[in-house]
Amino acid sequence: MKRTVFQKLMCLVLSVTILSGVLATTAFAANGSAEGGYRPSLDEMKSYLDASSYEEYLAEYRDENGDLPIPDPQVLQALGGIVSIDVVNDLKKEYSDYAENAEASYGIVVSESKYSANSYDDYKEAWKNFAEDGLTYEEMADKTVYLSPESKGTWDVDVPATGMYYIRIKYFNCETTQSGISAIERQLLINEAIPFTEARSLKFNKTWKYNFVKTVEGLTAASGDKQGTTTVYEQLDAGDTYSGVTVESDGYYKFVITVEGTKKSVKLYSIDGDINGNSITPDMVQDSQWSTYYCQDTTGYYNEYFAFYLQEGPNTIGLKGQREPMIVGAIDLIPIGSDADIPSYKDFYAANGLASKKPVSSDAKVTIEAEFPDYMSDNSVTIGGDNSSSATTPSSPSSQIFNTIGKLSYSTVGQWAAYTFKVNETGLYKMSMRFKQNALQGMYVCRALKLKGGIYGDSAAVPFKEAYNTQFDFSDDWQSQYLGDGNQVFEFYFEEGVEYTMYLECSLGSLKELIKRVEDAMKTVNDCYLRILQLTGATPDENYNYKFQETLPMDLIALAEQAKVLADTAKAFEELCGTKGSHIATLETVALLLHNMSADYGWEIAANMSNLKSYLGTLGTWINDSKKSTLIVDSITIHSSNASEKALPKAKAGFFGSVWFEIRSFFASFFTDYDSMGLREEPNDDAVSVEVWIATGRDQSNIWRALIDSQQGFTNQTGKAVKLKLVTGGTLLPSILADKGPDVYIGLDSSSIINYAIRNAIVGVGAEDYDKWQNNGKMTDEEFNELKTVVSNTYYTIGGKDYRADQLPNGMTVAQAEALVAQNKAFKSVPYMQITGERYVPAAMDTIRLLGVYYGIPSGMGFAMMFYRSDILAELGRDIPDTWTELMALLPDMQANNMSIGLSYGAAINFILYQSGGSMWRYADRNKDDYSPEYEGALIGLDTNVAKAAFSWVTRLYTEFSFDVSFDASNRFRTGEMPIVISEYTSTYNTLTVYATEINGLWGFCALPGWEHEEDDGTIRIDYSSICSISATILLHGYSDALSAWQFMQWQTREDIQSEYGNRMVAILGPSAKYESANTLALEGMSWTADELTAIRDQMDNLYSIVNYPGSYIIGRYTEFAFLAAVNDRADPVEALMGYIDAINDEIYRKRAEFDMPVLEKPSDLE
Amino acid sequence: MPEISNEAAVETPVRPTQRAEMTKWQWTWKEIKRNKTAYFMLAPFFLLFIVFTILPVFLSMLLSFTDFNMLEMPNIVWFENYSRLFTNDEIFILACKNTLIFAAITGPVSYLLSLLIAWFINELPPKIRAVVTLIFYAPSISGQVYLIWATLFSSDSYGWVNATLMDLGLINAPILWFKDANYVMGLCIVVALWTSLGTSFLAFIAGFQTIDRSMYEAAAVDGIKNRWQELWYITLPTMRPQMMFGAVLAITGSFGFGGVVTALCGFPSVDYAAHTIMHHLDDYGGQRYEVGYASAIAMVLFVIMFASNIIIKKALSKVGE
Repeated sequence: MKRTVFQKLMCLVLSVTILSGVLATTAFAANGSAEGGYRPSLDEMKSYLDASSYEEYLAEYRDENGDLPIPDPQVLQALGGIVSIDVVNDLKKEYSDYAENAEASYGIVVSESKYSANSYDDYKEAWKNFAEDGLTYEEMADKTVYLSPESKGTWDVDVPATGMYYIRIKYFNCETTQSGISAIERQLLINEAIPFTEARSLKFNKTWKYNFVKTVEGLTAASGDKQGTTTVYEQLDAGDTYSGVTVESDGYYKFVITVEGTKKSVKLYSIDGDINGNSITPDMVQDSQWSTYYCQDTTGYYNEYFAFYLQEGPNTIGLKGQREPMIVGAIDLIPIGSDADIPSYKDFYAANGLASKKPVSSDAKVTIEAEFPDYMSDNSVTIGGDNSSSATTPSSPSSQIFNTIGKLSYSTVGQWAAYTFKVNETGLYKMSMRFKQNALQGMYVCRALKLKGGIYGDSAAVPFKEAYNTQFDFSDDWQSQYLGDGNQVFEFYFEEGVEYTMYLECSLGSLKELIKRVEDAMKTVNDCYLRILQLTGATPDENYNYKFQETLPMDLIALAEQAKVLADTAKAFEELCGTKGSHIATLETVALLLHNMSADYGWEIAANMSNLKSYLGTLGTWINDSKKSTLIVDSITIHSSNASEKALPKAKAGFFGSVWFEIRSFFASFFTDYDSMGLREEPNDDAVSVEVWIATGRDQSNIWRALIDSQQGFTNQTGKAVKLKLVTGGTLLPSILADKGPDVYIGLDSSSIINYAIRNAIVGVGAEDYDKWQNNGKMTDEEFNELKTVVSNTYYTIGGKDYRADQLPNGMTVAQAEALVAQNKAFKSVPYMQITGERYVPAAMDTIRLLGVYYGIPSGMGFAMMFYRSDILAELGRDIPDTWTELMALLPDMQANNMSIGLSYGAAINFILYQSGGSMWRYADRNKDDYSPEYEGALIGLDTNVAKAAFSWVTRLYTEFSFDVSFDASNRFRTGEMPIVISEYTSTYNTLTVYATEINGLWGFCALPGWEHEEDDGTIRIDYSSICSISATILLHGYSDALSAWQFMQWQTREDIQSEYGNRMVAILGPSAKYESANTLALEGMSWTADELTAIRDQMDNLYSIVNYPGSYIIGRYTEFAFLAAVNDRADPVEALMGYIDAINDEIYRKRAEFDMPVLEKPSDLE
Repeated sequence: MPEISNEAAVETPVRPTQRAEMTKWQWTWKEIKRNKTAYFMLAPFFLLFIVFTILPVFLSMLLSFTDFNMLEMPNIVWFENYSRLFTNDEIFILACKNTLIFAAITGPVSYLLSLLIAWFINELPPKIRAVVTLIFYAPSISGQVYLIWATLFSSDSYGWVNATLMDLGLINAPILWFKDANYVMGLCIVVALWTSLGTSFLAFIAGFQTIDRSMYEAAAVDGIKNRWQELWYITLPTMRPQMMFGAVLAITGSFGFGGVVTALCGFPSVDYAAHTIMHHLDDYGGQRYEVGYASAIAMVLFVIMFASNIIIKKALSKVGE
């Protein structure tokens, strides 16, 4: 058959067209408001951006030889070598409430904050359980100063000699009422000024520990027992006896047996197992204790302690609160050049005469399994199970036994895990570790090895400088090695019977200078980028000569310089690490681009602008990755210093061993029962249980499972089991239809709640007026009355039994029950209106209320806030706009520099409406005279004059001030094209944290710009309000037990549980997993910084909500139509909007009539 | 014509006499028993077909006479839904208009496009044909690939089309393509055509393969003048079953083209400019929980599709005449 040319051509054309389409697609696939409105001023932003680093600070005081001024030792000799500050008497008494307050006599600084009352109680509480040197609370309190998180303590100090000093602070970490995980954070002020950037945030670690240690004393040694201390690891069943100790539950145990003559004591560590042998996470608690702290860097860039320059004469030293309360016991100034300086390994070796000490015998080996840490620096350093090798001790092919530490997060500079140990022989030792470091390819990670006890002193410190750089190389598999810095293996001197504590702290070690160089380079290039951006816009014309050599000569030079810096750094890395992994190659790629851009008088700049931005992002991620020193540790062994390589623990299992292990674990995976994970006892069919559904990710549901089973968990406190099921989003509706739904559902959005509620598909759990709350016919009267009683009374669950507060057993008083609750031994459930009143803002409660009945308890709450780039605003020399007027005044400046403001119209229409005093609904605002409970939501409020003005104002932003209607907010914020973006706070925060790493620290967020109202008395009131959206935990029909379900709902939304959930999310999924709890009390315990917390609180105090009354779906679409008509076709916005009002009101009327709700046709109907 | 006897398959030639002695039902029952193996083999599919296709249509018809709200017991309202639909729902009328415009353009055009391209491809050597077929078919198998259009015609000033037009100086501000009533319908039709080379296109290719080559030779002898005559008199009549199949798919596809529009334009589309009956159904069934009313809409859509199927069938029988 003949083929015509036409056909062939046609085929060709068509196939090329479609092929390109497909390729393009594939390519793409690969790719109420009185206060509030706090924002940092321009000066604050500038001082933050321009503040000198510690390096620059030191350079200022160095003499021509590069030495720092040492205070005159002779003057100090008289004072015993150090300058001590009397923390109580030298405290500046400048606080208004200090003199009057009786508490002041105990040396307590109580800030003016609203939390002061709690703080004092916390303080007393902390002291009740703790007394040092036999001193009572009253005596001790006279010698210490309590600093609340909001307070500032300033001390006068008379410095005898000019020079550099280290600052040593003895502090006590109080247990806070919240389960706050964050470390104590303070700003250090010398003479009321921050000396350098790094002093802005000093971290005082809290000490955490697993609650799994028990000491058994007074045992009699058996004949076979070895003298001294023996450490044994055993897996035992409940009732088994080992070395005279009987264990209570199945689990994995560490016995530290100390035998002295015939006396024996056992320190028992236990990790309980569930019914399938999986380890159950032990509870972690804060361990309040005194710690000694030298002011030092938290970023990991400086290993030595910070030295501060102090002039002879009166000075002040201040600690300004950032996070968490602390008690200060002593502050000392220690001159540099004294004992406080850290020696080198050689000096340490010589000073302690290690050369003359003898190695111990090879029997003196002590093995420390890393899964039994004594202390941790924060509660995200957790133990876990690793099934990747059968050589890991212990290991099991079928169950998850905890055998390592550091799987999740033990990687941030400053985090540590500590182990105590004793040896049986005095002499020289070295240490080895079995570990896995598969995170940083071609690089090594470091741990600072700190020691306490014996010759190492009574505060944790590195014995010598090299210990900061204890080095662990990269490998995909497990490794075993003696601890050293890469050049030498460290030797240590330990004495028999002395208790030592070993701290393994994440540090950047010798990589710190290089990483800092890259970070500095990135900052410089970022600045260049911004200046070029202001000149050319984000998409420069490649063929236009911008004459960079005339306009931005310095930036051209800077680009060339930084290209060289990066190339050199890459080389240095290669030398240091010995190999060149892909991680290091990244630097060279960036260097090459910078080099090309700086060549040829910047001709290549225009063509490479977008590349540059993405490379900056790469660099930001590179720095983040490099600073993470992930290390999974299996065990640490203390050997004799002459132990050979053979003495090392086995790193890898043999070939046959690992194959057999794999086979067994493969078959075991068929029999693993994931539903019974964490169960300590076989489930009993008769027991009360609550069925809960959650429609989030697997990680989230795992966290809830773990929380339910934990010490503060629901099951532990009430004795009631919880069946938690992970379902997909759309499952709830069909399940309600089929009557197969759960008892409780977590996280239903407020519009669905109203939709389900009005159709009687979910159960109301609270009412404004319990007398008016009627049964809707879905329940029997008996059931309804039971529910009403349950949600309107206080109950205590004690020992698995529920008692109403007025029917407590055997003459128990309410106070006694409360005491049990405080000790986590009982569970208390509180009436609905009481808890919600304490926990939630009124706007949040409005969204789940229908005709006076509340459906559910809010769990998540989102709202828009304003994100700003402080570097760009500082460059423009403008303050963060406080009001819309200021924002509009900023606009010309920004637009002249090719920048704009990111505001999405849907959100803007809503919050401008409310800020300017309007409302979406008529008769729905409780603060106004025309409020009507029957008619709220019966008529739209968009046809009022205020609403019309607001709508047309927003529309004008887009039609006259050329705001973008459609844009990718986080991308434009990152590139600097939109230095101000108004957007949902957690999702934007989360995106920026991981996506825009190169601008870390250059942005912030605050409450929305406010709308100015002139009051009758001439004052200006500014309304900063935002609109909140809510998701809630709801109760469904067909629940099995009203009280249990209600208790679970309360427990799940409780502040400590919510913040614990948020914190675990961050610990497991990283800093971009911030959770937006609706519970206002939960914020405190989550990992927001002080400034962020202030901003969020600010906005939370200024929230409105738009309730989804029946028919509300129609509003959004018609306002959007009106808006788009104005933008697309230049229609008059108000006319366009008014054209839809009747249609909206008709739909609402129709919808309300469907549910027999009171209806209105026109506003005049009510009047 | 060679004698091919169907009677060889009939085992019992006496059947007609027996049939006369039975009632119709008795006879049917007897036949069922006789062919029980066939019914047994058919049963699994038939059961599923009834439960998941016939029954829902029937249920939907019943529900269209009620005010069912998905969560509560329905009340019977007889023809209220229908009367509201035709007399008191402007948007429904608009949706009907949009649907008909949409179907009238995309249905026939995509059908002809599939046919023509299949015809062209059929002329290629087998190996190349396989590759080209895959390339053409790829857009419709790769799920949500139409979202590429959302990127191309993004309202962002960095959208490909907007950026290009702005670079060329044709426009000053970005056009909100899928949010502008002037462009929405046109764009959606283009996207619909692009994704339409789906199953029917494959069926056509298969159809072309089944044609007996000797027919063309015979036709050449009988005096066919050109390729068009060949196509009209031989190729198309021979593959009538495939064409019917393709036509049914084209109709249902063009009437039911809702999801893609929603994904590109949002729901509802601006000013209801691309609001089809499918969307109206979604609106009432999904957003307003008025399942009774939505069922009435579904019934109307069902009737329209059914009617157009009959018309197409009639039209196809004219092919080759």
